[in-house]
Amino acid sequence: MEINKIIESGLMETYVMGIATEEEVQKVLSLKKEYPAFKAALEQLEYDMEVLAQNMSIEPPAGTLAKIEQEINEIQRQNQAVQNNFNSEYSYDKNHQENKREKYIEVESESNQMRVNKAWKWVFVAVFVLGKIFLAFAIYFYLENRQIKEQIKELKIELKQKNR
Amino acid sequence: MFKAVLNNRSAEPKNIRWFYDQYAPMLLGYINGIVQNPQKSEDHLVAILTSFVKDVVVSPEKNRLNMWLELRQYAQSKLTLYTAKDHPSNHNQSVPKGGLDVLDDLQKRIFCAVYYHGKSIQYLATTIGCDESEIRNQLKLSIDKMRRASGN
Repeated sequence: MEINKIIESGLMETYVMGIATEEEVQKVLSLKKEYPAFKAALEQLEYDMEVLAQNMSIEPPAGTLAKIEQEINEIQRQNQAVQNNFNSEYSYDKNHQENKREKYIEVESESNQMRVNKAWKWVFVAVFVLGKIFLAFAIYFYLENRQIKEQIKELKIELKQKNR
Repeated sequence: MFKAVLNNRSAEPKNIRWFYDQYAPMLLGYINGIVQNPQKSEDHLVAILTSFVKDVVVSPEKNRLNMWLELRQYAQSKLTLYTAKDHPSNHNQSVPKGGLDVLDDLQKRIFCAVYYHGKSIQYLATTIGCDESEIRNQLKLSIDKMRRASGN
């Protein structure tokens, strides 16, 4: 008697329409387990809702199934490609790292090279040329200085001889 | 990301065909009741069926009653743009033929708001201006009327 009252309360309809609260859903599930009459009524209602949907159905245009199958195939192909790519990259990385580990000792190193702007080339050329010029001047003045010193030395000797 | 991709289940072509034959016309009728546009409904049908088949295992062995309910709720969740739109149970909308003619205006309004737009009893009670038990009762009456009209 009690179960008939619950069946007539509209609880099943709320559940089947998908707007039942969490509490109502739990109640329906426990009643379904507990009372075969409730379970039968609920299944009948679910079946009738499907029949109602069939009455309101619209036949899809020709070619819709082909579109769906094509989309699914496309997705599966993309997933397969991603999976293959991932697998090959993963196995390559793994093999590569293992090979590397076997052949070489891992050393932390820093490069000895440095990157310099091309404009610095002309600065280096200028510095080199100036360096050569300064070197030539230095040699010239050194020789000149040595020559003058010798001349002074000779003059001093001459003066000493004259004084005697 | 890769985990999700790798976990993706692929459906058998014969199961897809069975599922399509079984549910595509019902789903198109349902979607058109929400979207109110035949061309857009067909586009949504392709998108929803594709993602449903991809996400959910479909096979004739699975419980058929739950399948339709699951599919209907799945479709509703994918059409939130239309269902969340602020049209509180627009009873003037054109709905697919079959069944709804037997309902009076209030029942049609309540049924469409719940069935197509997933509106709650509480929301409808506030919008229409009557108590929740009345809405629940009208919903049950409308379903009973439609069941009787379809010979169940």
